[in-house]
Amino acid sequence: MTQPVGSSLMPRDTRPREQVAVFSIAQFRFAISAASIQEIRSTDSLGGTVVELDRPVLRKVRHIVERDARSYYVVSGYEHFHLPASRPTTVLILRNAPVAVLVDKIEEMAEMRVLLTLPHSFHGEERTWYRGLTVLERNVLPVANPLGFLTAAELLRLEEQNPGLLETAAAQRYEGGRA
Amino acid sequence: MNPETGSLVPSFVIFHVGTRRVALPRDCVAEMIASPLLFSFPHTTPMIAGVALRRGRIVPVLDLGPGLLGAASPTARFFLVVERCISNIAERCAIPVQGECELVAANMLPAAGPDEFVAGCLALNGEMIDVLDLEKAIAAGARIQEESVAAAEALS
Repeated sequence: MTQPVGSSLMPRDTRPREQVAVFSIAQFRFAISAASIQEIRSTDSLGGTVVELDRPVLRKVRHIVERDARSYYVVSGYEHFHLPASRPTTVLILRNAPVAVLVDKIEEMAEMRVLLTLPHSFHGEERTWYRGLTVLERNVLPVANPLGFLTAAELLRLEEQNPGLLETAAAQRYEGGRA
Repeated sequence: MNPETGSLVPSFVIFHVGTRRVALPRDCVAEMIASPLLFSFPHTTPMIAGVALRRGRIVPVLDLGPGLLGAASPTARFFLVVERCISNIAERCAIPVQGECELVAANMLPAAGPDEFVAGCLALNGEMIDVLDLEKAIAAGARIQEESVAAAEALS
């Protein structure tokens, strides 16, 4: 994983490299570590495995999606980043969090060579949303924090209001497969 | 004493934010640059218009317009790079400014107006120019921007 190097670029290119997926939501582009993504799917191909939450306690999470006997909370990317409604066509299913993120589209896969810390002037939710900033083709992009789409507190709230739903959905799928 | 000039009279940089002429102590100001390429991304911190990439460093761009003018400042050709101290960490930020900047040596007089972000004023050629307390000016702008966002959300 690329290590933060403060806010300055290092003079010699001895920096670690990290593969990232660049995705877009509305007019903005973001990078996310490719290692943090389990699957990238079209929203069209998720039809039969989506379950609506009984109690959507967070505006950005209204469904869960089931994949390979695991369930994931579906996080609306534009709601998460407080952006105007967009047209998500792609789902990023994350590896180390029960989260599937709706994004408009994948722009490219790229190699990130530097991860700059977010300046201290930023003190809002973005400190949770981003690991830092990177520079790709002379553009500055925020690097999404995979664990920032749903914080531990948000996961707890979802679980409290929809107890056992993630496990139930996965178990139902497993039983159906066995039958 | 000003260590750079050897003068006992402190120096200030005078600049325009929109139509308002204000000043900052010289030692707050690092440089003045031509309008850089501005990159923006979603965030929730008021006042930040985006970031610029300057000599390999990320420099947040802070618009003082909301605090000083009550609205975003107009398009700027120049940016003043200033040094902030946030939680004891120095950080450079860029402030869009309109027109030219001046460097003057003058003694600061006590603030006369009601604005809490004014640290004092300079009497120059019959004109009184407010000297900003940068952190208070940023805080005032943030407060105004947050209030207008809350009002807009309440209406929607």
